[in-house]
This record gives sequence, structure tokens and C-alpha cells, in this order.
Amino acid sequence: MNALRGTLASTWAVAGFQLARLLTPARVGLAALGMLFPAVVLFAVRRATTGPLERNFGAVLLYALVPEAVCMLGLLVTMCPAVADELERGTWVHVATRPGGRRALVLGTFLASVIWTTAVGLGALLLGVVAGGMTEPGGLIAVFGGLVIVSCVGRAALFALPAVVLPRRALVASVGVAVVVEYLAGFLPAVVNQATVSLRLRSLLVHWMDWRQRIPAQLRLIVDPQPVWVQCAAVVVLATVLLTLAIIILDRRQFPPSEEG
Amino acid sequence: MLTFTRVTKLYGTVIGVNDVTVALGPGAHGLLGPNGAGKTTFIGLVTGQLRPSVGRVEVFGKPPFGNDRVLRRLGFCPASDITERRASPLQWVRYLVRLSGFTAADAAERAARTLEQVGLGEAARRPLGTLSKGMRQRAKLAGAIAHEPDLLVLDEPFDGLDPVARHDLVGLVRTWAQSRSLLVASHLLHEVEALNAGLAVILGGRLVASGSAEEIRGLIDDMPKEIRVRCDDPRRLARRFVGAASCSSLRVEGECEVVVSTRSPESIADLVAAAVADGLVVDAVMPADRSLEGLFARLVRLHRGIAP
Repeated sequence: MNALRGTLASTWAVAGFQLARLLTPARVGLAALGMLFPAVVLFAVRRATTGPLERNFGAVLLYALVPEAVCMLGLLVTMCPAVADELERGTWVHVATRPGGRRALVLGTFLASVIWTTAVGLGALLLGVVAGGMTEPGGLIAVFGGLVIVSCVGRAALFALPAVVLPRRALVASVGVAVVVEYLAGFLPAVVNQATVSLRLRSLLVHWMDWRQRIPAQLRLIVDPQPVWVQCAAVVVLATVLLTLAIIILDRRQFPPSEEG
Repeated sequence: MLTFTRVTKLYGTVIGVNDVTVALGPGAHGLLGPNGAGKTTFIGLVTGQLRPSVGRVEVFGKPPFGNDRVLRRLGFCPASDITERRASPLQWVRYLVRLSGFTAADAAERAARTLEQVGLGEAARRPLGTLSKGMRQRAKLAGAIAHEPDLLVLDEPFDGLDPVARHDLVGLVRTWAQSRSLLVASHLLHEVEALNAGLAVILGGRLVASGSAEEIRGLIDDMPKEIRVRCDDPRRLARRFVGAASCSSLRVEGECEVVVSTRSPESIADLVAAAVADGLVVDAVMPADRSLEGLFARLVRLHRGIAP
């Protein structure tokens, strides 16, 4: 019980510290850009179509721009440098010599990354819905708010692996993982796509937007018909497995003094 | 408290420490060696950052790598400066204490108390980037001791400090060492001596000597010392030295310096005084200050079984 309490305390400590590190003018400016980007695109499309966006078309655009693009970029920036940042700043030694410090680094950075990117994603969603002039904005915000959270939880855990396996090349490795796992394996109509976040996101989108009967038969192959709770549970299981793997790997990693600072 | 049994640490083909066997009991210990000798690797093995390639490291009877129980009893102050320049000492120390598993309230109380203890009470809320190096060293020390570890490990704690800051920090560390155990890595003998610590000398990844400061100092005192004399006619002075029995070796450097090696510095002082009386103009007489390098070289020869 004490060990669990200690892990929770240190995880919160890392999360708080990482969030404080993100509160620099440069990072906040980048987040503001991330929030504005979907709104600008939706506004431009709305101007081009001379009128409010058709709801389903707007939803597809919002899906591509917010839970996919904005969340992916936000997580790449915040989760990938989890270990590399500590090595570069010379703070790795402080983390590695504390009881459970390595675990706390993975979990705390994951938490900070999810909180930060979810906030940016929700901001982008609100601005996008307003800029697109969409009908029934409340419903859309509820649907896409859920998708933003699922996307952040699942993909932050996915990027935790390259962050601990290849800290110095985590960004490149994570982009590779995103392309190969999420956008290649995720679109294969085979068992392999069950282990991807993108399948769960598409399935939740189809379910929540009530598109099941309206999408073409070919597209149904890349959507899972299971109920919402199965999709959410799958993401939770996937995130737990990925984070556990990342913790096990980081617990065994050694960085020679020459790799620090 | 700390045992190394035939420990070797390899980084690929590079050796960090080489077949080290040593047992250090509770108390204060200094790890002495020049830059690149393997001190940081030794410390990395003690503090659970590194795992030995061969052999066994035990701290409080258990291997420290990945062992939360051992790490909970360790405090580590690394050689590198704190890079979190926007955070205040209070935030930084509180963060480190919370990383040790303390609640937020406990951590805040311990951080404030320890910063007072190291004399940073008034500067506790200023950004670290605005503090002097000496103050940041104190903040680093506070971070290492705020959770009250049983063994404090310091890696080059006095590097880059001015004499006043160094004196203050030595006082703080010495006070700590009165009640708990301490391991200090340094390349300067007098720093470790100031802490009244036992010594282990490491060189080329090997432990080449261990003992009390007096024993190590004795080795230095036995060795010839180099004295550098700056004067207007070094060759004339060198001729005087050549005839003296106390002079082991000498060399003329440039147009105005003689470096003489002797076991009896007093006799060299007498010879220089006599030369001055004969009209030689002497600008400076100073130690060449290579005693520690000389000591290390001598220890290596002893270690390899070659007569020094």
C-alpha cells in the first residue's frame, strides 16, 4: 500500500513538473497555433462552400484535424522527449537514483502529455466547431471531446515505447510508429488492426455519429462493430500493456555518463 | 555498508571500472582520482544508475540497481549543475523529495526545512537561474539530503566554487558526516582531507590504494617534490643545484625557469638564498604542484608491482 502511495505521489510530482516545464512562451505559443490550425482550415472550407458546413462533412474534417492531426502532433512534442529531455538537461541522474523514479518518469510524463494535449485538442475542437458554423455544436463537441481523450490516452502510451527504447531518436521513431502502426496496420482489414488506436477511434466515430448504416460496405471492413465500452476498454488495455512495457524497458536501461548532459 | 566484489563495468569496449574489490563501512569516505579515472562510473554503480558487467555491487547488503529499498536510503548529489533555471530551490527540492515517494505536504515541509539548514532560506523562492553557483550547489545538496538518506553520495561537490562557498559547503558536508555515512568523489586530495574521510584512490578504472588520509599523505611526503624557480639566469642556478645531494633531477624551462625535483625542499631554499646572495635575481620560487599526479603515477607503479 505504501509502495502504491509512493508511486502515485512521485507520478503526480513528475506530471506537475513536466506541465510546469511546458508553460514556457514558446510551448504555449505552439499550443495556441495547434488550437487555431483546425479553426482556420474549417473557416476556409466554410468560406469556399459559401455557407455553414454540412454536418457530416464537417465531422469528417474535424476528425482528421483534431483527434488525428492536432492530438498526434501534441503527443509527439510532449511524450517523445520523456527520457531524451532528462538526459539532455542532466536531470536523468536525479530521476534514476530515486526509488521508483523511472516508473514515475514514464507515468508522470504520460499523464502530463495527456493533460496538455487533451486541453489543446479540446480548445482546437471548440474553435473549429465555431469557425465551421456547424449545426448542433453541443453534440459534436461531446462526440469529439470523447475522441480527443481516447486518442490522447492511446497514442501517448504508444509513443512511450520509442521514448524509452530510442530516446535520442524518439521523434523519428514515433513518426515511424505512427505511420506503420496507426495508418498502415490500422487500416488493414485484418486482426492486426485490433491493436491500433485508429481502429478504435474510427469505430467510436461511426458509432457516436450514428453512421453505421450509412457508410459504404467496403468502409465497414475498417470499422469494428463492437459496442462503445469494448472500444474504450480495448484502448485502456492497449495503453496499460504499452506503458507496462515501457516501464519494464526503462527500469533496465543504463545510460553511461557520456550520454548525459 | 558498501561492497564491490570483483566489479568490472564495460561501456562496449571501454572499461569504466576494472576488477574493483573494496568494502567500505559506515562513516565518511573519499573517492580520489584524476578526471577520467572511473569515479563517476563507481558512483553510478553505487547509486543504482549502472549495473556491473561482471561482479557484484552491494549497498546496505543488496544490489542497488532497480532496488527501491536501497535507493530510498541513498542521497545523491551529481557533479552536473542544476539546469532547471526557471524553478526555485524550493520547487526543485520539493520535486526531488516527492520523487522519493513523500506526499506533497511532507515534501513541502522537508524542502523548506532543509533549505533553511543549508542556508538558502531567504533565496528559496528565487529562480535557480538567478542564484550563484555556490547557492545552486547548496540547493543540490538540499535535494540530496531532504529525504534524510543513510548514505549521501557526492560527485565533485566543490567543483567551480570560490573559496568562501567551498569553505561553507565543506562545513555543511562535514556536519552531515558526523551523524550519517558519506561518499565523496573528488580529484583534489585536500577537499577530501577537509572532510576527515577515509580514502580510496582510483585510477584507470582500478582501485590502486585505500587507507586514511594520513597514509595517503605519507605516500606523497615520501615522494620527490618539484619546485619551480624563476630567475634572470637559470643556467647559473642549475649549476648550483647539480652539485647538491638533495637534488634528484632538474630541468631548465625556457629562458628564465628551473624546475628542480627534491625530497628536501628546505635545502633548495638554502641554495636559492645563497644564489641570491651571489647576485642572482630571483622573481619567484613556487611548487610545480604536480604532487597528486605524481602520487597517482606512483600508486600505479606500486599496484603493478614495479618499484617506485
